Amino acid sequence: MQKDNKVRMPWYSLFIKYRELGLIGIILLLVAVVSIVNPLFFTGEKMLFIVEDTAVMAILAGGMLCVMLVGSIDISIAGIMALSAMVSGIIMREHLEVTEVTRIIDGVETVMNAKSSVPLIWLILIGMGVGGLCGLVNGAVIAYGNVLPIVTTLGMQYILYGITHIVSDAKAVYKKDMSDVFVQFTRAEFLGINSKTWVMILVLIILYIFLTYFRTGRHMYAVGSNIEAAEMRGINSKKSILLAHVIMGAVAGLAGLMFASHDTKVTQDLKTGYEMYVIAACVIGGVSVTGGSGKIPGVLLGAMTIGVINNGLPMLKLTGSAEFWKKLIQGALILIAVVSNVLMQRAMIKQNLRRRNI
Amino acid sequence: MKAKKFFLRWEWLLVLLILGTYAFFSNKMPGIYTFSKLLDQTRVYMVDVGFMALGAMLILILGDIDISVASIAALSVTIMAVTYNAGEGIPFIAAIVLALVVGTVCGLINGILVVRFKELFPMIITLSTQTIYRGIAYIILKDQSSGGFPQWFGKELGYGKVFNETVPIMLICLLALFPVFYIWMHHTASGRRIFATGTNITTSHYSGLRTDRTKVILFALNGLLAAVGGIFLTARTGSVKYTIGTGYEMQAIAIAVLGGASTAGGKGSVIGVLLALILMTCLKNGLMIAYNDSFILNLSIGVLLIAVVLLPNIAGKIKQRRQLIHQRVSTAR
Repeated sequence: MQKDNKVRMPWYSLFIKYRELGLIGIILLLVAVVSIVNPLFFTGEKMLFIVEDTAVMAILAGGMLCVMLVGSIDISIAGIMALSAMVSGIIMREHLEVTEVTRIIDGVETVMNAKSSVPLIWLILIGMGVGGLCGLVNGAVIAYGNVLPIVTTLGMQYILYGITHIVSDAKAVYKKDMSDVFVQFTRAEFLGINSKTWVMILVLIILYIFLTYFRTGRHMYAVGSNIEAAEMRGINSKKSILLAHVIMGAVAGLAGLMFASHDTKVTQDLKTGYEMYVIAACVIGGVSVTGGSGKIPGVLLGAMTIGVINNGLPMLKLTGSAEFWKKLIQGALILIAVVSNVLMQRAMIKQNLRRRNI
Repeated sequence: MKAKKFFLRWEWLLVLLILGTYAFFSNKMPGIYTFSKLLDQTRVYMVDVGFMALGAMLILILGDIDISVASIAALSVTIMAVTYNAGEGIPFIAAIVLALVVGTVCGLINGILVVRFKELFPMIITLSTQTIYRGIAYIILKDQSSGGFPQWFGKELGYGKVFNETVPIMLICLLALFPVFYIWMHHTASGRRIFATGTNITTSHYSGLRTDRTKVILFALNGLLAAVGGIFLTARTGSVKYTIGTGYEMQAIAIAVLGGASTAGGKGSVIGVLLALILMTCLKNGLMIAYNDSFILNLSIGVLLIAVVLLPNIAGKIKQRRQLIHQRVSTAR
């Protein structure tokens, strides 16, 4: 039976095939709207700043992708960030050495305080280790204790803030307790691009390679799509879930240190409520909450969408009473992005049905 | 066998925990931690979050989750305050009724969105409506606070007590709701239908239950309960700001889970929620007196939450393994 296979594609079929295109469209639209109101927004410097400002969120969203791939969720990342930043901060404070250095500034000899402490790489490893440990607890309770992810991580959120409080003895770590290298960690530039962006690129590339080309990474997709089928194929689903949470924890530890270095302050309630932004970034980026689908590029674009919204709204020069609309606009945009994603998905299913050769 | 099953119920664990907590703290701080003080403190730790916990239980039984309840409460009481302060002759009751209507409508919007977009996890939908509702409250109130309610609202509803000045009026309002909910949820057909919907929505749908309608109605009811909780919260605090009730949604969910609800749906009990509320009140009051530190308080709540959910699972697993060994031994013979 010879049949003309070419059904006319609707105009939006390109967007359906490459879902990230739709997101890029949304981002471009947002940028265009803000740029028309305020031309200062559309500069290379500002665009780079948005990427830099959203880098930590993108890193966290990459970790959250792993967790959501296996059908789990983690709402304790703010607690993990606080604890790991606090532990690293305290270790840094304990080993702080202040030396006086004479430097020549503008031809004048000036005495400066140079602060040095534990090498940066150790601090990062400690932070990621503490975070990974928290993730291990989360994962073990979820995978081996059969407790639902939301309940576990909700409880862990409370617990981690409490432990941070106890560890820190209710004292924050300030800039004076930080070594120069640590403060420079998120301020350094390489090839004119901020180090936060470079860290983001590095982490996301590692996660992308892991999730796309490694067997353990592919297992996560399998576990999230159909856990029973995955187990019958011999995949240890519990190990996958545990590993996803450990990755999330380690990534959150790194993110916590980046926030600490950026804000030059570690308080015991570091970034409360940030988990919701990260989850929103993931969902906008096309990650399914039930597990099994989602990609690193989508997550990156999802985070960037939120970054453009967050950075663009102040640039709209909303003054007076319009200032108070920001929160509403933020929520509405998230809802619109998520809902349009679903509508696109539905169109995709419809199109696939139409293309069947019956 | 039936008696054994009765005593193995979840609620007995909570009763034991309540007795243990009460005994521990009243032993540690005699004279400070007393029953009458506890009754007084129910105003702070139990009533406003209690309404929201009942709503959270309904939604959890359905297998959904709603994290916008605190924002719904904030928006409702904001509108209540603004309406009452708008003109001279506006009766306060009208403002309260309007607040309840606003809460119901907010819940209704949540419900409709959840039903219309089944691909989306309710958490994401309510995450965005959470920001939207609080955003509207922010637009209305700016960063000012509003108050000036009639005297009876704070004095009677917020701080009033009956029965020889022992039992807060608020508490009676909350407790009056529990028998109604108990009979409705556990002893009527419509209540059982909710459990059926939560246990297996596809089967329920094919069995002729109108699952979508049930969901929308329950989300609306959840919004109504959130508004009621917000009104009681306002009665206690006396003024409204757009940040009112922040974080209550997680507390409500934690209490519902402690009370035996599961986020997977189909499980939950009204008595469990009541006992969990009492347990939280005992624990929070004791810890606040002993440490006066909200971080320690939250730490112990987190440990309690995970432990209470984890322990039965581990116990079940050990039991399963023992049965397995038993089986092997008997087949070997």
